[in-house]
Amino acid sequence: MEKIANIPHGWQEGTSKDITFIVTKDCQLACKYCYLVGKNTREKMSFETAKVAIDYILDQEKDPLFNQESVIWEFIGGEPFLEIDLIDKICDYIKLEMYSRNHHWFNSYRLSFSTNGLNYSSEKVQNFIKKNYTHLSIGITIDGTKTKHDLNRIYKTSGQGSYEDVIKSIPLWLQQFPEAGTKVTISSSDIPYIKESVLHLFDLGIHHISINCVFENVWKQNDDVVFEKQLIDLADAIIDKGYYEYTTCSFFNETIGKPLDCVANNENWCGAGKMLAIDANGYFYPCTRFAQYSLRNKKAWILGNVHDGIDRNKLRPFLTLDRCTQSSQECINCEVASGCAWCQGENYDAAKTHTIFERSISICKMHKAQVRANNYYWNKLFHKLETKYSKHEQI
Amino acid sequence: MKKLVGKVTTEERDVILSLYERRNGLNELAKILTTDNDVMYEKIVKDLGETSKKFQDWWSSMSSKYEWESIKNGNWEINFDTCEIYLNS
Amino acid sequence: MLQYLVILLDDTSVAYCHTDNPIVEERIMPLSTLRKAIFWGMCENLMIHFVYPNYSLPKEYQDVIDTVDNVKIGKDIEVYNEIPKKINSSSIVLRLSINEFISSIAELEVVLQQAKRINICYTDIEHFDDNRIDDYSKALSSLNNIIIRLYEQNIQPQINILSDRIIHNEKMHNCDAGISNVTVAPNGKFYLCPSFYYDEIMHIDNELNYQNPSFDRSVGSLESGLDMPNRHLLMLNSAPLCRECDAYHCNRCIWLNQKLTLDCNTPGHQQCVLSHIERNASRDLVTKLKSLGYNIDCCIDDLPYLDPFEQFIKF
Repeated sequence: MEKIANIPHGWQEGTSKDITFIVTKDCQLACKYCYLVGKNTREKMSFETAKVAIDYILDQEKDPLFNQESVIWEFIGGEPFLEIDLIDKICDYIKLEMYSRNHHWFNSYRLSFSTNGLNYSSEKVQNFIKKNYTHLSIGITIDGTKTKHDLNRIYKTSGQGSYEDVIKSIPLWLQQFPEAGTKVTISSSDIPYIKESVLHLFDLGIHHISINCVFENVWKQNDDVVFEKQLIDLADAIIDKGYYEYTTCSFFNETIGKPLDCVANNENWCGAGKMLAIDANGYFYPCTRFAQYSLRNKKAWILGNVHDGIDRNKLRPFLTLDRCTQSSQECINCEVASGCAWCQGENYDAAKTHTIFERSISICKMHKAQVRANNYYWNKLFHKLETKYSKHEQI
Repeated sequence: MKKLVGKVTTEERDVILSLYERRNGLNELAKILTTDNDVMYEKIVKDLGETSKKFQDWWSSMSSKYEWESIKNGNWEINFDTCEIYLNS
Repeated sequence: MLQYLVILLDDTSVAYCHTDNPIVEERIMPLSTLRKAIFWGMCENLMIHFVYPNYSLPKEYQDVIDTVDNVKIGKDIEVYNEIPKKINSSSIVLRLSINEFISSIAELEVVLQQAKRINICYTDIEHFDDNRIDDYSKALSSLNNIIIRLYEQNIQPQINILSDRIIHNEKMHNCDAGISNVTVAPNGKFYLCPSFYYDEIMHIDNELNYQNPSFDRSVGSLESGLDMPNRHLLMLNSAPLCRECDAYHCNRCIWLNQKLTLDCNTPGHQQCVLSHIERNASRDLVTKLKSLGYNIDCCIDDLPYLDPFEQFIKF
């Protein structure tokens, strides 16, 4: 039987603690869909703050909040590689401390980065990669074709698109991390370019594409119709040209579009609260989306700080939250509920009251369009494979 | 050439995975040590030696237990996701 | 379903629950507003609880108040901020810090002999420390001994933190602000409870819009009607920790929840621990009373935790 590539699962998924350092709130780009509404050049983390945070976290080794088997030390911004010297110093400290303390995470850790790729080929970043190669996970964000990428991912100063500069680093990145994937974000304006963009990324050699519609309420009338058409066309191309054998696009997933039960399938979607983010001021957050620079309306949800530790009361809503309690009856009864995602931070920001228990449904129509295209994809793919192999058997 | 020659249990896989990760960690840690940190350097070198030995012992003990196919100048490798053992020639 | 309406007759109306009333300047509810509030309550078929200030109201107010069946908090139900030597009503509210309670068990016996019912209301739950668990448990145990002595004298006192579970132990009995009751302030606006009104007056940011901070905590007004966004989140079923809990007689104070955990439907550790210590003490009381031959139809299971959150978290 011909193979169908599987969507890769994350490293130590479900057994790792995700700790995110917001090393800077600055970025060379000003992407139009970026949820970071409060980016600035002022808030850069000091090494001292990072050091105190690491000491605090490693001190909690036996605490159920911090005793997971593995750890992912994540660095984001803004653009994290703007602060490569700081990151290098932080990572050295993390490694030394984990080892000196005989912390169990020394045997199972990763250093993870989401970057716009602009500084990827620089000497400093490359030296850092060589130094930490076996523990690295680096994702470069490229949105697709030049047209689609430059529609949103523009320079902060000139307003010009960044595609030509990002693309220069892609061959080196794929040479160093052949299994790396990219994350594509879809907003209203770039729906017409989805098909060509995904295929373009496959042709660049990026085989695994994690793609999602923004969770904010930006969708216009008929966006779902155009979106569905794009996905159907994409499905045809993937199946007709055989991309499915070695590529994956997260829009197409067999588990999407099924009803969900409030007992058996009641997990929260994301890991907010199970992960921990730290910013330049030394504040702890349930995830970066709860830091002030990510929020349009609500106040930052601060869990504590690197000096006083975590106020566990402020984590309780996150760790008791489930799918059905935050969902409307319409969502609970939805017949295509599986795979319908939400962002806890966006839920909080958009909620009518100060709560994380009100699920935003801005992407409802887009999800339903995705489900229809996804059904089409699998029906067509299985039919193709069955027909092909039944012919073989007859011969 | 790569040939599937066997499979280990997830518990056995976890042992070699942990040793593999530790060895990588020690190698990368060694890169950042400065000459003035003699005590730490000695500790890491000793640890690397011990970890590498445990690593080799695992392969010896598993290959005898499962009697995997072998060839001259070949080596085995493990797929950590599937626990499958391959012979590379 | 709303069952009663709390009317704050003055900005300085007595605090009768967890929060102190921080307002010192008297501002009586205008008579026209009072009439509207009573009318609204009658039309909604609500029992009305008037909360009195510490001064005598003008006669015309009393006349309006007595046009409807009511409960008078601060009058019929006396509110004390320390343990009184003598009380004038059979049902009192006793607002104490937990430390005051722990160190005053003997004095409580005198009050228990006079009152049919005592509602103890702690004013510092958020500061309760796990190091005090033993002290609080022992204090409740001493109070149990007093209750048993009184039972033997044929006096069956009601004290909310211990004996309410003997009477009703089959479902939650919480404050239910916003669900079974709502408050009208002297400004004619609705609030979930008086504490939210105090926050507004004290200019504590409601944290809903950090770019344009607002102190407004109202949930509608007598003019425009009730407007409670996300009211369903105040209900027991929207509280994952509480809906599985059988501590039953717990304040489940949404104001305190919001303060401690930032979400109104999630109780803080302190609230859960206190309620479970009281639950355990109630269990001991039931066991002792049963062993003395009292016919008590109540069964409280043994639990291995004081905070259900410990059982809840999964990683």
